[in-house]
Amino acid sequence: MREVLEGSHAVSEAVRLAKVQVISAYPITPQTHIVEALAQFCAEGSMDARFICVESEHSAMAAVIGASTGGARTFTATSSHGLALMHELLHWASGARLPIVMAEVNRALGPGWNIWMDQSDSLAQRDTGWIQLYCEDGQEVMDTTLQAFRLAEIVNLPVMVVLDAFFLSHTYEPVDVPEQELVDRFLPPFVPKIRLDTNNPFALYQMAPPSVYMEMRHDIQMAMEQVEPLFKEIEDEFGSIFGRKYGAADGVDCEDADIILVLAGTAASTCRQVISELRERGEKVGMVKLKMFRPFPKALFRSLLGNAKKVAVIDRNYSFGATGIFAQEIRAALYNHTNRPPVFGYITGLGGRDVTPEILEEIFKMTKERVTPEAESVWVGLNKHLNEMQPDPDKQ
Amino acid sequence: MTYNIMPQKDLMYSGHVGCPGCGASIAMKFALRALGEKTIMVIPACCWAIIAGPHPQTSLKVPILHTAFETAGAASSGLRAALDMQGDRETTIVAWAGDGGTFDIGFQALSGAAERNEDFIYVCYDNEAYMNTGVQRSSSTPFGARTTTTPGQGWKQRRKKNIVEALAAHRIPYAATASIAFPEDMIRKFQKAREMKGGTRFIHVYATCPTGWRVPTEMCIKIARLAVQTNFFPLYEVEEGIRYTINHKGNRQVKEYMSTQGRFKHLNDDDYAQIQQMVDADWDLLGRKAKM
Amino acid sequence: MSSEQTISRKIPLYISRSEITTEVNKTGSWRFARPGYDEKTAPCSRICPAGEDIARIEMLASRGLFQNAWETILLENPLPAVCGRVCFHTCESACNRQELDQSLAIHQVERFIGDMAIREAFPVSELVQRDYRNNSTSEKRIAVVGAGPAGVAAAWFLALMGYGCDIFEAEDEPGGVLRWGIPAYRLPANILQNEISRIKKLDVNICCNSKITETFIENAKEKYDAVFIGCGYGRSFTMGIAGEHMASDGLSFLRDLRKQTEACANYSKCAVIGGGNTAIDVARSLVRIGASPVLIYRRRQQDMPAFTHEVEMALEEGVQFVELFTPVSIEENKGGYLLKLQKMKMAGIKGRDGRERVVPDGNNGDTMQVSRVFTAIGAEPEEPWYNLPEENEELLRLSHCVFWNQELPVIFGGDLTTPRKSVADAIASGKQAAMALDTLFYEGADAIEGRINGCRVGTGSALSMEVYLAGQRKGRNPHTVLFQEINIDYFLPAQRQSPLTAPPERRVDNFDEVEQTLDEESVTAETLRCFNCGICNDCDNCRLFCPEVAIAPDKKRSINLDYCKGCGICVVECPRNAMSLEEEKI
Repeated sequence: MREVLEGSHAVSEAVRLAKVQVISAYPITPQTHIVEALAQFCAEGSMDARFICVESEHSAMAAVIGASTGGARTFTATSSHGLALMHELLHWASGARLPIVMAEVNRALGPGWNIWMDQSDSLAQRDTGWIQLYCEDGQEVMDTTLQAFRLAEIVNLPVMVVLDAFFLSHTYEPVDVPEQELVDRFLPPFVPKIRLDTNNPFALYQMAPPSVYMEMRHDIQMAMEQVEPLFKEIEDEFGSIFGRKYGAADGVDCEDADIILVLAGTAASTCRQVISELRERGEKVGMVKLKMFRPFPKALFRSLLGNAKKVAVIDRNYSFGATGIFAQEIRAALYNHTNRPPVFGYITGLGGRDVTPEILEEIFKMTKERVTPEAESVWVGLNKHLNEMQPDPDKQ
Repeated sequence: MTYNIMPQKDLMYSGHVGCPGCGASIAMKFALRALGEKTIMVIPACCWAIIAGPHPQTSLKVPILHTAFETAGAASSGLRAALDMQGDRETTIVAWAGDGGTFDIGFQALSGAAERNEDFIYVCYDNEAYMNTGVQRSSSTPFGARTTTTPGQGWKQRRKKNIVEALAAHRIPYAATASIAFPEDMIRKFQKAREMKGGTRFIHVYATCPTGWRVPTEMCIKIARLAVQTNFFPLYEVEEGIRYTINHKGNRQVKEYMSTQGRFKHLNDDDYAQIQQMVDADWDLLGRKAKM
Repeated sequence: MSSEQTISRKIPLYISRSEITTEVNKTGSWRFARPGYDEKTAPCSRICPAGEDIARIEMLASRGLFQNAWETILLENPLPAVCGRVCFHTCESACNRQELDQSLAIHQVERFIGDMAIREAFPVSELVQRDYRNNSTSEKRIAVVGAGPAGVAAAWFLALMGYGCDIFEAEDEPGGVLRWGIPAYRLPANILQNEISRIKKLDVNICCNSKITETFIENAKEKYDAVFIGCGYGRSFTMGIAGEHMASDGLSFLRDLRKQTEACANYSKCAVIGGGNTAIDVARSLVRIGASPVLIYRRRQQDMPAFTHEVEMALEEGVQFVELFTPVSIEENKGGYLLKLQKMKMAGIKGRDGRERVVPDGNNGDTMQVSRVFTAIGAEPEEPWYNLPEENEELLRLSHCVFWNQELPVIFGGDLTTPRKSVADAIASGKQAAMALDTLFYEGADAIEGRINGCRVGTGSALSMEVYLAGQRKGRNPHTVLFQEINIDYFLPAQRQSPLTAPPERRVDNFDEVEQTLDEESVTAETLRCFNCGICNDCDNCRLFCPEVAIAPDKKRSINLDYCKGCGICVVECPRNAMSLEEEKI
């Protein structure tokens, strides 16, 4: 049924339809609407689940880890500092091979306190062994959340469904909310591969000496390597039931493009419009919307970007002392490829600053005008006066 | 109510790597005798995380969930929710943490779980320092003790945190102290906790660490007994956070207990006098609470 | 259509998860010290002349296993109902419990067990050790002279080993001093008869009215393989004073009372000379027949060899006591007798027997008008041939017996040879004699001392028949458990049980027993006070506290050395020092 839903509620509706059994969460803007809705569902009985109001995000992740080993389908949601606080346990969840699904609302890290859109928080967790799926709009959020449970439960790896703070979490869009019956057809009840049981007692997650640890880690990577083909199969199935598909990356007009823009999240929606306008002006331009970040779909990116003359990666994030993170990953993916266009890295839209069509056009122009990038990362839209206005600490 | 019969079945295997004379092993043995097979142990980082056996071994006949250091309270909450959702009301979830994972790093999760009155038993087996990592001080280390992070003249000058009082303030249904030197009392309390389903039950077990306290291994139980007999570690129960029952009245001087241990060797008579005063004052306060 | 069926793939899932137990780690290799079950000697059993396994007896009784307790007694002492009334129970003064509150009422418990055995007719035949010498002992037969405690005990222990015995008793009933020397209010005749008749269920005959002569001994070798002589001290000492013939022998008086041939005339005030148990028995018996006895003793009351308890009861019953006086002469006077007495004083130095000497206090004296004078100053063997031959090479002097190795071996026991004249020592002599004879028959005379020494209870002189017969007591550590070795943490102070005792006013006109036997509830409570020094009582502390779960929960505990790390907690928490910790041999 088509409804006008806030992005947050697209998540909560999907969680309800997925018949999650245990939810544990700690409030943090801009995730609050997700968990408030879920608490309401549990209270009114439209959802048969336990909602544990834990006292920190670290405990939220610990609780869903515990619940998952008890054999329940689990969910949590967080953002920014909450995710950072969970960091230790994100490693634990993937090492424990638990099919936990988490909604991660992309928000900047402080200080200063900044509650608005930024990709640094989720990308800072890229080493933790979680599958990361980035969403562009409300429909995609709903669909990806449902797919996440299916994916996690087959491959036994946790999944992070990522959505932009405010631009997606707090904007209303028309969303097709599927019928429970159809969801049930797509997503069967959870049959855990790991479950604690007093009738068959064993210990889980005890000390692993050097003789076995590497093999356990290797298996995590081997499982990760199954994710991309598995995701495709799942999407095919989803598509056959609900008629929608997204792909690990969505290429638009890439086949004959000279310049291809790469970006993720709501900015990708803006970019589609910009590409369309540029094409009308005769520019040979294309874009790739990045959905699956972990595992990084190297082969797919090589095939999408390999024939372009230049690639412009837009990062709403930064790894200090290095570069924008998407740019890094793409450069690494292309390095050993024969067709290896130069990658122009652009940093914009941090801390909730809007990525407008004008900024995207400027990025296109800068890319077009130069043979090689003027710098490893070009920060777009900086107001240098602000830096200069800060009082000189030496003069105080 | 079968409190008076000593259960005979042990749910622990030999061959674990606890130090000879390990009080924590004895504590687990008693606990499991009382709790029975329908138990899942949640064990954060602590000595027992190692004693439970490395992959692919286990030293217990019940399921164990190993978790990160500070998460015992939270992981237990989640596990309980999962079992409830699957209709299992029989299995008891027991968090089994050391003093570090209870008093310090694990305190937040424990307090959160207690405030929510989560349905589980939280057991802290207390050897009064971070023994697993080499005898560093914790907030459970008593006033007067030397540890590797309070060495020499820098011996610990702060009181031991009173965890049972802190938990009682959460008004949980049951909080109690227990000692491996008083097996019938300890087993009675575990049985009582097991049968009181529905809320948070907290048991603080005193477990001698011969390695860390620098005492001969064979004195493990005797020293634990002295702690109770000198009121250094009183045995008592608190129901609903307000009803106090004292289980044993000690009548010996603390010096008799403390002078047995290498970690207190540096104390002089003035120190002992001061400590005796502190213990007497605490005992007095406890007595007043029991009368209220 | 379930989606799971269309998408299925094998996902690598190697995680930390248990498949085996820690039992693969044989942590026994860590040990520096090794614990073991090591039962030791209790001080009570060490000092008991009969060497009874007292700690174990109390332990069995505390668990209601009275028949097992009784069987344990019978291996060392065939007369528990008797000893539970008349023994001087030195065990209680050695009892470790007295350092906590009061010593255990071992004496009362033994009485209870003995009485129960009589009442419920516990069988004896299973106690006979028929396999001890491969069934060949029953051919030998031993003659026992005297059916007093020594003779009865000797016959009992020989019968236990499968020998046959014929006991020859001069009187018309067996018992010796037990029957004729101890009054009924201390030892009723029916109790004694029941205890002695039990022995007749084995291959033992008791022939009364059969006083043995020297000729019998000379001819005995045709029918018997050995002779035990336990005739006791039948002849009382004389005072050696003027008018002695007018005094009555205390022992004869007691015998006549038991035979009820004593003319119970109105004696009014009587003098009883002496300070031992016999003197007290005479005095208390006189009270009961209406007389007013005055006990006259040459030393002080505290020097009296009689049992303190007996002296106290005598005083309660109205016996007068005069200390530091000795008789000088007896004269007829006014239808009675005038007794002249010499006052004595403490000399301040010790005599050869270790007691402080008394000497006449100048010319101070006194006289006493009495209707009768009784003497009870000691006794000696009745017949000269009961006396031991002079030193010769064929004599082997053991602690309680003298063995004369002749063609027909003769062994003397009882009061004739024991270092202390008591029922328990008499029983000990019977046991020692039985062991000596058995060793003589199978290993030769030279082996006797060695074999007997091998059966000592701890470091004392008492012998254990159970050890001699290689019973489970054999491996016991001779170390005697000290109070400091008991883990007092496991014992709360508890009142010692006292038997119901008739008040003096109810005692003085009858010969009924003064003290009642404790009831079963009291016995259970009392035996639970026993530390069971050195004996395992199945308290299960060792298994309870073992951190390695290395002690098996069987009836007979064992330590699994594959896992034992040698921490030693079991040894320290054994409340009764029934375990030991030794250095591990590398």
